[in-house]
Amino acid sequence: MSSSASTTSTGRPARPAGRGRRKRLTFDRVSFFAVFLGVPLVIFLVFVVSPFVQAIYYSLTDWNGFSATMNFVGAGNFVKLFQDDTFLLSLRNSVILGLVVPFVTIVLALALACVVTIGGSGTGAVRGLRRSSLYRVVSFFPYAVPAVVIGIIWAQIYDPSRGILNAVLTSLGFQRAENYPWLGDSRTAMAATIFVIVWSFVGFYMVLFIAGIRGIDPEIFESARLDGASRVRTAWSLVVPLIRDNVQTAYIYLGIASLDSFVYMAAMNPDGGPQNSTLVMSQDLYITAFTKGQFGYATSMGVMLAVVTLVFAALVFIINGVTGGRDKEGRR
Amino acid sequence: MATVTYDAASRIYPGSTKPAVDALNLDIEDGEFLVLVGPSGCGKSTSLRMLAGLEDVDRGAILIDGKDVSNLPPKARDIAMVFQNYALYPHMTVFDNMAFALKLRKTPKSEIERRVKEAAALLNLQEYLDRKPKALSGGQRQRVAMGRAIVREPQVFLMDEPLSNLDAKLRVQTRSQIAALQARLGTTTVYVTHDQTEALTMGHRVAVLKDGLLQQVDTPRNMYDKPANVFVAGFIGSPAMNIKTVKLGDNGAVLGGLAVPLTREAVAKAGEGADGKVTVGFRPEDVQLVGEGDGGLSMTVDLVEELGSDAYVYGRADLDGAEEQFVIRTDGRHTPNMGDTVYLKPQSTPHIFNAATGERIDG
Repeated sequence: MSSSASTTSTGRPARPAGRGRRKRLTFDRVSFFAVFLGVPLVIFLVFVVSPFVQAIYYSLTDWNGFSATMNFVGAGNFVKLFQDDTFLLSLRNSVILGLVVPFVTIVLALALACVVTIGGSGTGAVRGLRRSSLYRVVSFFPYAVPAVVIGIIWAQIYDPSRGILNAVLTSLGFQRAENYPWLGDSRTAMAATIFVIVWSFVGFYMVLFIAGIRGIDPEIFESARLDGASRVRTAWSLVVPLIRDNVQTAYIYLGIASLDSFVYMAAMNPDGGPQNSTLVMSQDLYITAFTKGQFGYATSMGVMLAVVTLVFAALVFIINGVTGGRDKEGRR
Repeated sequence: MATVTYDAASRIYPGSTKPAVDALNLDIEDGEFLVLVGPSGCGKSTSLRMLAGLEDVDRGAILIDGKDVSNLPPKARDIAMVFQNYALYPHMTVFDNMAFALKLRKTPKSEIERRVKEAAALLNLQEYLDRKPKALSGGQRQRVAMGRAIVREPQVFLMDEPLSNLDAKLRVQTRSQIAALQARLGTTTVYVTHDQTEALTMGHRVAVLKDGLLQQVDTPRNMYDKPANVFVAGFIGSPAMNIKTVKLGDNGAVLGGLAVPLTREAVAKAGEGADGKVTVGFRPEDVQLVGEGDGGLSMTVDLVEELGSDAYVYGRADLDGAEEQFVIRTDGRHTPNMGDTVYLKPQSTPHIFNAATGERIDG
């Protein structure tokens, strides 16, 4: 896409790469290609592409994972998937996670990043809050803790009778919180889980956005301040457009991570939560494959997860493109 | 339109005891073009940023039109600033860059359109209004930055080295355009530069700063003809004034073989605390080359820089046993050769400074 854009801008017809300047295939060049292109390509094919192909193949069989034989069932597994209420529920839950977690995380991370970098006093130089470097370090802590540990810690915090959350809430006078099972009630299980996932991601993306904001010429913020822009306006009209690429990348990473969410779910709601209200695709896949012994069927779920993830990434790119994210005239 | 007053304004950066700007007193008249000039780190940019509200005023006050603005946020001060790197908003078109401040003040659309178009016409930017900054040349960006300030119709323009990112030719051209524009708009302007040529050519008055202290405020002419101290004398003018500290006699200074007669009062003033020394300065163009027997200071020529109309002659002369560098300006068509010995004689009375304090002595 970028090459076609550059040719139209210069007005010259596209020239096929390599033509006219083909060099002779000496041993040097051939061995260079073999080592630096051939070897990585082989590794990529063997370890990345072939499992994909294999997975797609298994998804078309009824393999149980341990037998030597399997029967080819065609699209049968996929037909079954869309009649499987449990899977459809897990698909729904995954999509909810994929929509809510990145959005909430990015909004929070951006807001915090702005507060830390440009949210300080309205007079004097544009700066962050006092002691902002401390907040930055502290907010990064959750990211340094492994996801499974976070899941376990929060499962304890949410514990109905021994958990610190209910202890705090009851001491503050919320008597209804006494023995309330945050993760055991289908009304709150998903929200409580989403909160934990967001909590674990925000610090990292905040630091990422801070780095992006620090990359902007500080004179631009000073200029905006002289122009009369409030801090909120500066964040919205300057910071967001100027670190747009970071936001898009963050959105895709977060989307992929939250469409998976396996570790958090396995730690907090190992059985899919109350009435499967937090069951996600990766979890359904795991249960189907290793508990129920239906590898072929589980693999078709994996294929669906991959499809959903790719659709998500494509959507992010399209939305960003439609809303003017790609600055065509400036890209050379 | 407004006056600007620095009333003993100081800025002390946190973690430092020495003020970056030390009790600056400065009165800028309505419609005046004042240039703050000085070497790097002299506090000129800090002074400007204090006026903009981008630096705190730690002591003293800053007044715009008689009103104390020291504690007001920048947007309440009604000023517009042109930054060294222009600080254009990269994701906005030229039009939006200029319109941003007006949009924030909820100016009606038609009014925004009118003002931006006017400013664009003034600065020859009409055909670039739909472009983004990165599709513009340095000079065009500089004009957009000017335009962004103009559409605001502020009380005071602040300019922080706006020409330092332009090439030499464009700088000279833009210099005169800015001066002309300011004369036309009549807006009070404070302009910061480290370039003494810009200061002399653009300002109605020039303020020289050094180490956070104001050295002198005066018209370019007076600044050049009557520098208040040795620092200003050496800073203003290019090539720099020849400044030498020499022995003070009863009747005046003795510059090698050249006697510089001084009045009795001047000798008395120069002698105060100066340990029998006096500082003498003369500009390169205030020197005549004379014949060997005419009582001039003999100098060996090291280098001749020919500039077409003029030539600068660099050389060494013996002063009380020490070799000292001198530079003089001569007619470009009659230059001495390298290695020649020439004889210098100041045409007019040299500038005299107290050797201890560096203060100017008249008479």
